[in-house]
Amino acid sequence: MGNYKEILSDKVFWSSILVTGVMVGVALIVEVVAGVSLAIFFGQKLRGSKFVRAILITPMILNPVVVGLMWRALLNPQWGLFNWFIGVFGVDNPPIWLSDPKWTLWTLIFVDVWQWTPFIFVVVFARYQALPMDVFESARVDGASPLKIIRYITLPLVSSAVVFAAIFRGIDSFRTFDLVYGLTFGGPGRSTTTLSFYSFENGFVYYRYGFASALSYIMVIMATIGFSVLLKWIPVRRNH
Amino acid sequence: MTTLSRVASRSVSYVTLVVIAIVGIFPIGYLFLLSTKRRIDIGEVPPSLKIEWSVVVENYKEVLFDRSYVSSTINTLIITSIVVVLSLVIGTPAAYSLSRLKVKGSERISTTILSLRFMPPVAVAVPILLSMRFLHVANTRIGLIIPYVAFSLPLVIWILIGFFDEIPTEIDEAAEIDGANKWRTLLQVLLPLVRPGIVVAGIFAAIFIWNEFLIGMYVIDSEALKTVPIADAGLISAQRPIDWNVAATVGVVTLIPLLIGSMAIQKHIVQGITAGAVK
Repeated sequence: MGNYKEILSDKVFWSSILVTGVMVGVALIVEVVAGVSLAIFFGQKLRGSKFVRAILITPMILNPVVVGLMWRALLNPQWGLFNWFIGVFGVDNPPIWLSDPKWTLWTLIFVDVWQWTPFIFVVVFARYQALPMDVFESARVDGASPLKIIRYITLPLVSSAVVFAAIFRGIDSFRTFDLVYGLTFGGPGRSTTTLSFYSFENGFVYYRYGFASALSYIMVIMATIGFSVLLKWIPVRRNH
Repeated sequence: MTTLSRVASRSVSYVTLVVIAIVGIFPIGYLFLLSTKRRIDIGEVPPSLKIEWSVVVENYKEVLFDRSYVSSTINTLIITSIVVVLSLVIGTPAAYSLSRLKVKGSERISTTILSLRFMPPVAVAVPILLSMRFLHVANTRIGLIIPYVAFSLPLVIWILIGFFDEIPTEIDEAAEIDGANKWRTLLQVLLPLVRPGIVVAGIFAAIFIWNEFLIGMYVIDSEALKTVPIADAGLISAQRPIDWNVAATVGVVTLIPLLIGSMAIQKHIVQGITAGAVK
């Protein structure tokens, strides 16, 4: 019980809740919008799209620790290629992405979006491809515009896949810490310390197992509550 | 649509395609490039594209042999294959029954399965180590395989439930009228239809294993049994200054088996999709 009392009066705990909320919320919204758009985009069979699809899926299969490290190299203020690249387009004084506390959380979100949009894409695209094509054909024959087809036919038909992908992605980004581990290690300061990273840090760096487990249980409770609320609102399995 | 506007919209599509490709590949290409550099050449901006093979050999030799990534990779491949097969063998019938059989409370069961995924790995790492010790499989491959299958199953089952739900029940009924029992319906009629789902589920189970290191760090002590991600995490600690050329090489070595695997599987995805479309 002492652990829980300590947690509730712990400033870092509350700041990590905020960090986690912003990160999961913003990243998830961007990823869902981008992932679904990509799935629809790849629905038009362009030449070479199979190849690009293979490239697109790649970030998702990478180990997040490696991804974090890779972006640390790319965003390095002295020699990172990213700043050079945006410099070509005329951005001269880029922020120090990973050291300026104003920017680190957004950098983290950016990398998360880079890595995990493909997840939403793959799940939605697989469902999209499994749909009977004649529905689209007949709508097209009836003269429906592409936007109308997307709005009234495609989106409703893939919605269960979208919800599914978003829930899994949301849960995973809520509880994983490996990207933070590779990219920022929670810093600078506490600007990117998420709940799961804080729990990891307490358990594995400071060896405060009791505190870490208590944190984890709080996370499970939060996730379960969040999830049951979500389930009330959104039918995950539409046949039921 | 006029020809001109069709050409215009096509071009926009192709430009988008190229941008997507660049955004996806650029960081990974940089990783490859860094892995061919000497430590002192890392600071060069933009990096020269000239590759000195002697440096490449040196970097990769250090990672593959001195840091024994060859054996880690083989080990991870073995564990991944076993876990993927087991998860699919257990998960497919489970998803089938949750989707099709009118078991009491199947909705509840499937939500409970999903909720298992809320467990942060941090919370279960120590209990898992203790259970594996109790089963006398700590520090063995089996000790990793058991928790990995357990962690993969919720996702596998849920992906497949989605695919089974999409198949109209008339297909089951038709098979039943033709005299097939439930097993035959599942194996011969439904399985080919959910094949894209099985491939996707298999991929996710495999990816999970190539990313997991927390539980692995606990269960596995011996160098020889470490999987690639466990070795990665040990190597890359934020508090130590990083040898970027070695770290990049480690990244590439971690990435290559997955790249090859996903390329091989791409073909099956396409096959699965066309098989499903023809019906």
